[in-house]
Amino acid sequence: MNAPGSQPPVVPDDRPELGETGNDPLVLLELIQRLKVRDVMTPDLVTLPRAASMQQAQELMRQKKISGVPVEENGRFFGLVSIDDIIRALVAGTIHESCGRHMTTKLVVLEDDMPLSFALRYFDRYHYGRFPVLNRDRRLVGIICQRDINRALLVELTRELQRLESASVQRGGEGAAGSLYLLREFPICKYDFENAGKAANQIKQVLQEKQFASKVIRRIAVAAYELEINLCVHSDGGVLSWQVSSGRAEVIARDAGPGIEDVEWACRDGTSTANEWIRSLGFGAGMGLVNVRRVSDEFEITSKKGSGTTVKAVIYIEGGAA
Amino acid sequence: MTMSEVAEVLQAEVLVKGDGLLRRVGHVMASDLMSDVLLVDEEDMLLLTSLASDQVLRTAQIVGAVGVVVVNGKPLPSSMVNVANDLHMTLATSRLSKYDACVAVHAARHPL
Amino acid sequence: MTLGTLIGACGWEAVQVPDLNAEATGAYTSDLLSDVMAHGPEGAVLITVQNHTNTVAVCTLVGAPAILVVHGREIPDDMREAAAREGIALLRTKDDQFNASLKMGRALAAGKQG
Repeated sequence: MNAPGSQPPVVPDDRPELGETGNDPLVLLELIQRLKVRDVMTPDLVTLPRAASMQQAQELMRQKKISGVPVEENGRFFGLVSIDDIIRALVAGTIHESCGRHMTTKLVVLEDDMPLSFALRYFDRYHYGRFPVLNRDRRLVGIICQRDINRALLVELTRELQRLESASVQRGGEGAAGSLYLLREFPICKYDFENAGKAANQIKQVLQEKQFASKVIRRIAVAAYELEINLCVHSDGGVLSWQVSSGRAEVIARDAGPGIEDVEWACRDGTSTANEWIRSLGFGAGMGLVNVRRVSDEFEITSKKGSGTTVKAVIYIEGGAA
Repeated sequence: MTMSEVAEVLQAEVLVKGDGLLRRVGHVMASDLMSDVLLVDEEDMLLLTSLASDQVLRTAQIVGAVGVVVVNGKPLPSSMVNVANDLHMTLATSRLSKYDACVAVHAARHPL
Repeated sequence: MTLGTLIGACGWEAVQVPDLNAEATGAYTSDLLSDVMAHGPEGAVLITVQNHTNTVAVCTLVGAPAILVVHGREIPDDMREAAAREGIALLRTKDDQFNASLKMGRALAAGKQG
């Protein structure tokens, strides 16, 4: 039995790897990284103060059909009364005693600005049905359970699907400015040599089907390939995306680390951080960024050491030289 | 000179016919560094290489090569055949060294 | 065929040639050092883009008398020093591997006849 208020709720400080939920398809992966706990949690909470009785907690759970009641006063969070606590109190005959006395205080809580991917790991690791959510000031702002996550993902996925479906796809390259829209994204995993380059190959195949000018296709394909290999070899993995609209093709590589300290240096010829083993596979004689720049009409790279890098290559499809 | 004729000249075994077997070979590139292959803007390229990896085929597709010949009699991983099939990329192997292959291709294209 | 004759016939840049009379019996074209180690014939000039000290080490192992660096790649100082230590000649050309091989092939063939 926990002494009331003796142990503050625990926020585990070992941060799990993003997107480590293994088999998530790409859109899902993006969503769970993009959504925050606060986007998904139930904010309107039913709570009780410490002085309330365990029986009141039991009533509340039954009425509201919830499986846990947070104990808080003016936003200050003390603990949680779970169904287990109720059962224990019933058995021990302490059901009329205060929540403060019998609640669970040794808790794992989440922070409201954590990405959803973190929350998923905690559900996985701790097997609790719900987690209280605190904000930066350690105030209780909500509670999150598996059902909340499922619901939020369903809503977001539906939205995403509608967006993709409403984009109309037509033949390209014939003065159809603004009316052509293609979008695809590919997750790229670190050192995944078996698949390295596959996304770029697919992009090229689609471009060929859409019958763009061959030189334009080649430039887009080269940019995509170099960026894809880069993600595979020089980052911890990320996303390669490409889109065609308004007479422009954009290929964008986004990763989550480790970041490039000196972007200008990395864009020079002959630089490489790849090791011998990678070189023996045919990669690595440079970061390929020089080549990406060479084939692009616009080239943009933003990076911060320790955080992510985004590289964007734009190739004009309409009008200009092919 | 077509890819099929190149294969003959190099005494090469064609593992995947692909789309390029009967296509004419333009530029010939004899490199093992795929990063260098990506810098070349030629069309209808024949790639002669010692590197036996899927990357070779993927790079070849990106640059629109008509075919790949892996030299030095290197045994190819089965994945390469699969990738070549997926990409419809003509793939052959030759026991000749890359140097000898270069000389042989040139001699066949410019008979004395 | 001596290196001196070869250089004359092909027009290679003689970056560093300790012995113009060193014999070249053939050529080998590769950018994979593991491949050179496995198949590089003794006495063959190595035609490659790999412009670094490891190339020199491999050539010492297989007994190559010279390295022809292609594609106009620069030869860094440490490569020069290593080559000087090992007595391996360094040549350079703007040609790519294919064209360098052809020229070398023509010269060596002519040398065999003459």
